[in-house]
Amino acid sequence: MLKGNIAIAKAALKCGCSCYFGYPITPQTEIGEYLSSEMQEKNLAFVCAESELAAINMALGAASSGAKVMVSSSSCAISLMQETLSYASSDEIPFVLINIMRAGPGQGYIFPSQADYNQSTIGGGNGDYRIITLSPSTVQECIDLTYRAFYLSQKYRNPAILLADGLLGQMAQGVILKENPYPEIDNSSWILNGAKNRPARKICSLEPNQEKLNSHIEKLFKKYKTIEEKEVLYEEYLCNDADIILTAFGTMGRYSKAICNYYRKNGVKMGLFRPITLYPFPNKRLNELSQKTKFFIDIEMNMGQMLKDVKLALAKDATCKFIKKPIGDWSGQEETIAEIDEILKEKYANNI
Amino acid sequence: MQTIFETPKTIKENSRFSFCPGCDHGVAIKLVAQVLDELGLQENTILVASSGCSVNLYDYLELDCIEAPHGRACAVATGIKRAHKVQGKEKFVFTYQGDGDFASIGLGESLHSALRGENITAICINNTNFGMTGGQMGPTSVLGQITSTSPQGRNKETHGFPIKTAEHIALCDGTSFSARVALFDVKNILKAKNAIKKAFEYQKQGLGFSFVEILASCPTNWRLSPLESHNKIENELTKTYPLGIFKDIKND
Repeated sequence: MLKGNIAIAKAALKCGCSCYFGYPITPQTEIGEYLSSEMQEKNLAFVCAESELAAINMALGAASSGAKVMVSSSSCAISLMQETLSYASSDEIPFVLINIMRAGPGQGYIFPSQADYNQSTIGGGNGDYRIITLSPSTVQECIDLTYRAFYLSQKYRNPAILLADGLLGQMAQGVILKENPYPEIDNSSWILNGAKNRPARKICSLEPNQEKLNSHIEKLFKKYKTIEEKEVLYEEYLCNDADIILTAFGTMGRYSKAICNYYRKNGVKMGLFRPITLYPFPNKRLNELSQKTKFFIDIEMNMGQMLKDVKLALAKDATCKFIKKPIGDWSGQEETIAEIDEILKEKYANNI
Repeated sequence: MQTIFETPKTIKENSRFSFCPGCDHGVAIKLVAQVLDELGLQENTILVASSGCSVNLYDYLELDCIEAPHGRACAVATGIKRAHKVQGKEKFVFTYQGDGDFASIGLGESLHSALRGENITAICINNTNFGMTGGQMGPTSVLGQITSTSPQGRNKETHGFPIKTAEHIALCDGTSFSARVALFDVKNILKAKNAIKKAFEYQKQGLGFSFVEILASCPTNWRLSPLESHNKIENELTKTYPLGIFKDIKND
């Protein structure tokens, strides 16, 4: 049994994370607490940064040296890091950022929430860039996707975010802490380790030449296209014969699976489509599903941030309803079932 | 024939500084390059450049280099130093920042790097204004100084007081060396070089955070000739910013 936060910390160490920079914020502080002792024992770099700004910039420096680097934080503090995410994307410097989301906007509170979907997939930094975003729905996935976040980040030389909510960070589940399944990525061609027997290397985003800056951005977007073609992950649950498909990510994906089971028992052919990569979003597969199934219900622990991506992906003649709850306790299903019942009543009355 | 002066090896071949006429950045960079040569550090160094007039440094020095977001150079340098240490490698890591970068937007990162005793070196060029954006008032602008955002002169009632950076850094227990130098004449240029050398050597010896603040001219934004600028540093600025060594861990 492991709590999500601890599972992420253990997984990071297992795949060779040698530098962690952090600043406390609930509900993810245990990641830093756990790593503070573990990394010291192993002679790895653990720095209690003076701010989130400092933490993410220490990550920028450490990752430019070729180390596997992780920073963890939560929502309002991730806001402070957006500038450096923009720099790291342009500089093509890989590191992993863990966001154990809390409710916002502003300071909000430590209630569970999924309201950083936009922050993560669209970004709050300046300029044209994308951040790989992985969304676990169980503690086991916290481990598996931490491994994957390190791998994808290194493979594409781009920051990657593991986007989980406070429920997942605080929840304990039985897990298998297997070995990191991904190969090591050779970074010897670009890291900064001293210009010995080779010309000096420069990592910077400043580019006063218009043509060069233009082609740099084009190059980045060619890379993003490859990521969109190759790295999409999703889970389909009982979608093949479904009349209704729920869409949900993270904890709400797991929750929605139980909702599906309930309706299946009651004779409603319901399925679940759960994006695991939020960027790249699985719009192609969702569109394919909507060629056959025409009724979707999106369920999110926010005011409808993934909803726009779902709607964009669906076929034009498909309907998408939305069930929202910006924050809080989703442990009981009754409320959601009552809302779905209402939607279904309307659906069958109008024969949608 | 004996060679008595040549371009430091650490300066890139055929590089031409793009600084304004009379700006002291060029002298400061040359001193840094000379010291890196003399200490044999070029191949083992990683430079952290910053935002402001200092930003183009990587185009002049044959060093591995990363650009830090504005003000974050000491945090980036911390990450670099620690990451290499974990791999069992001691790299020489220094930042080259302006006063706006080091002491305004980046004061938190700068001060905390010193407090942690981070084994890096920071060089801060203090020209008492935000040079690259056209000479606005900065935290280092002296009382009475006219800038584009203090047209009546900096006054303490509205704008507060200038920051004495080298003295503040000297107060941090993790600091091994903190000095303020100037470049207005040969004697002071040599003193500046010695201070840079000491700061670099202290990092090599693992003694903690080392810091050199360099009072530098900004003729364009000060609306003065290069010579008048140097006179201003010698006769006026040193009253607010006295030259000297404020901390030397070996002499304390």
